[in-house]
Amino acid sequence: MDDIRIVLGSLRYKTSTNTNLSIPTPLVQNTKNLQEFDRSVDVNLAQVFDDERQKSTTFRPVCKFQILFNNSYSGLTNYGPLENNLYYVNENATLLQQCSSSPGSIPWQGFPQYDEFDFIRSDYNVSGYTVPIPSTVPGQAPLVHIDFISRSASTYNWNHFVSYPYMNIDKVMSFNNENLVNPLTWNAVDGIPFIVVILDSAGNPLLEGGNSIIRFKCPVKHGLSESEFIKVKLNGYVNTYQIFSFGDGSPGTEEYIVNIFNIGYVSIFNDGDDGTFKRVINNENPNDTTSKYYVIQHKIITDVNDAVLVNAGFEKNIFGVNKKFESRVYTPNKVSRVSIKENSQSYTLSFNKDIDVNELRDNQKRPISELYISTVWKGYFGLTFGGVDNTGNPVGLKQGFDFNLSPLTSFNIPQSWWRADNSNSNFVDSNGIPYSIGTYSTYADSSIRFTYLKSLKMGDTIDGNYCEWNDYEQKERVISEMYHKFTFNSNVFDLTFSDDNNNQFGYYYKPNRAMRIRGFSDYIETGSIKNMADVPDYSYFSTTYNSFIWRDLYTYGFKDNSGNGVDYPFLNGKHYPYDNFIFRIIPEGTNYIESSLHNYATLYGAAQPITDNCE
Amino acid sequence: MNNNSYKFTLPKGNDKYINIPIEIKWGVLGQDNAVEEYQQNVVEDIIGVPGDFEVLRFAHAPYDNNTKTDIKYDFHFFSVNGGVPSNPSSDVTTAVSTDWEISYIPEGFLTTEIYYYVKPFTKSFFKLDFYDSKDAITQTNYFTVILPVQQGFTVSAMTSAYQPPVDIKIPSFKLDYVGDKEGFFLYWLRNTKFLDISKFYMTAKFFDARLGVFVKMMNVPQIPTLVPSLFRFNPEDFFYYEIRLDYNEKTYEVWDTNGRRGTTNPIKWYEYINP
Repeated sequence: MDDIRIVLGSLRYKTSTNTNLSIPTPLVQNTKNLQEFDRSVDVNLAQVFDDERQKSTTFRPVCKFQILFNNSYSGLTNYGPLENNLYYVNENATLLQQCSSSPGSIPWQGFPQYDEFDFIRSDYNVSGYTVPIPSTVPGQAPLVHIDFISRSASTYNWNHFVSYPYMNIDKVMSFNNENLVNPLTWNAVDGIPFIVVILDSAGNPLLEGGNSIIRFKCPVKHGLSESEFIKVKLNGYVNTYQIFSFGDGSPGTEEYIVNIFNIGYVSIFNDGDDGTFKRVINNENPNDTTSKYYVIQHKIITDVNDAVLVNAGFEKNIFGVNKKFESRVYTPNKVSRVSIKENSQSYTLSFNKDIDVNELRDNQKRPISELYISTVWKGYFGLTFGGVDNTGNPVGLKQGFDFNLSPLTSFNIPQSWWRADNSNSNFVDSNGIPYSIGTYSTYADSSIRFTYLKSLKMGDTIDGNYCEWNDYEQKERVISEMYHKFTFNSNVFDLTFSDDNNNQFGYYYKPNRAMRIRGFSDYIETGSIKNMADVPDYSYFSTTYNSFIWRDLYTYGFKDNSGNGVDYPFLNGKHYPYDNFIFRIIPEGTNYIESSLHNYATLYGAAQPITDNCE
Repeated sequence: MNNNSYKFTLPKGNDKYINIPIEIKWGVLGQDNAVEEYQQNVVEDIIGVPGDFEVLRFAHAPYDNNTKTDIKYDFHFFSVNGGVPSNPSSDVTTAVSTDWEISYIPEGFLTTEIYYYVKPFTKSFFKLDFYDSKDAITQTNYFTVILPVQQGFTVSAMTSAYQPPVDIKIPSFKLDYVGDKEGFFLYWLRNTKFLDISKFYMTAKFFDARLGVFVKMMNVPQIPTLVPSLFRFNPEDFFYYEIRLDYNEKTYEVWDTNGRRGTTNPIKWYEYINP
């Protein structure tokens, strides 16, 4: 077929005529059109299961709680129903004092029993405390503290909800220790707080490798990496600096201390100044790469009675039961009994209500990837929340962050953040108004005002973690976790060693626990503005790069090499995410947290290493 | 062919084909999607959609102004003078209602066996069966609740003339959210799409592990006044209590012809004696 020429017939030679020529052109195709009414589908069970799984947006979260609690505060009480039910200490001394004076004037000392803190109260049959004793006076009400309602056994002390991260808000924050003249106070949206150090202990300029540096000490992890920048806000001055190094040479300080070159910023930075900075990944693109800082606000999507809390079979934690026999000789009501200081029962929590996340968006306006199990102290028995604010109204639950947990060791008091009159630490709703406190009194002693937190309901909001978000990375980092604190009602139970009623010792707990229901990819996707077909609605549009940025949502059942993604049971057309949680009720000063070992020390002293380089 | 002009380039070599790229810039809008949708519906018709067979915990409905939730069961065994009847089918013909006692003694257990929790006692249990109707021919037993003998109230009893009195169990139960709670909750489908049942009919039996037999229970004592006769009566009237489920409140109530039972009025079961 070389050199084929197609020539008109009449031109081939004289008298030749035009003829019709044809070249067969076979149309070969590798695909076949599917005809309507001519379709066949392989019904694959695994495929059908996966289709149903990916389509479902309904969740039935289940979790198990293991409570770790050290009953730490003994105190005095003269309130009969409670006095008769303490885990007594110093019984001999109390009895001897009562011999030498009026018995009624000498209060008994002890620990409130474990039922006062347990998830499910089991003291439903304690005469005079939860079961009424008919009065000997005709017409008078029976003597009882709370006429126990069995249905409320799991809601008297704690309430459990499902919540999700709803939006980002600003909060006033504060950190304090005994070396600070004034507490370090800042707004969450301003970024990471710091204290400036430009001089060493001898008063000479700080040097590192012969370079003069300015050091920023932070009470929280700064989350910075080398080659990044910080946008510093200090004394009304805002500028961006490149990071020189981390830490002060002590182990563990790298995450809390950041150093920049001091090229003559003498008039800007003074020793002891405090300010805030924001992380900037790329100084040439600050719009996209500057981090945002905020506190997450959670919205509650279940009611108190939706939670089903039951014993987790026979599971106990490893610490067992701490109980003792109280001989009738050593009890105020002369009744023998067994008192329990700590117990070890685990609990399973599920919900009567299905959680449909189809229309929910998280605080970054993305599809929900985490549900939270939120646990809130209610304290219906009224032994807590005794403090009052400046106007004399009872103060309920307090909230703060883990950097607020370290007590001022030299003064043996909690940080001033937890003072009853500090409105910034109140447990508040979306309008910043403290959640209502209920009060009641009993016939056993009508002069005492018992206080409790009224139950939250669906639609209420609670504050969550202090976080950082970077649009360029599309990633959220928890800077500091939210904690709640409750103290004792000193009208009922007096802690003898903490006499500052405005800032009592108390118990802390972490209210929000994340349960992952979807996984975002560990890679970042970008999409051109010209082709938006596969760009999700939650993507971030970078005006610098003129493109969309997002992380993909993994499908249910898929996990990448980094462990991102989820794979939990799917049946009944619903997802059943499950998680195990440890619920710590933390006494004052015994909390093992980063801040006590690192930032607290690194602000003004040497850090204590958790592990040395040999381990 | 005047409307279309094609320019063919004949390939060199031995190829006998001409590749004609024909780009189609149109599609059948929606038709393919509709077919896929239809295909999915057909698949669902054939293999079904996922059903919700999850169960829900139904608790006893509150009473007494919502302050109490406990449910009470009293099981009565037929006795003669407080002891084990020697010839029950004969003795029952002259029985009066007080001959049924809330005690395991008439069933043949000794005080020591009850107190020391011997195996024949602890392996005994009450079995509550829940049916969709009272008709014994067509009814289906959907679920069962077991009440172990380790639950229940106690009474004082003597195990020996030389020992102080002890507390032994009696078949009288007060079940609640706390304390004795086995058998308090009923677990049934939360979704009514598969089985829409809001009323169950409960019967009771006692499994006597000492003898290895089931003892059937009635809702009234089997006394001669039973209509129409002691051994010939309508079982639908005397072997059942009615359970009413409330799917909204996730609660249940127990009823008989006289009203709600299990609250201040216990649910009473009496041993049935075969002729």
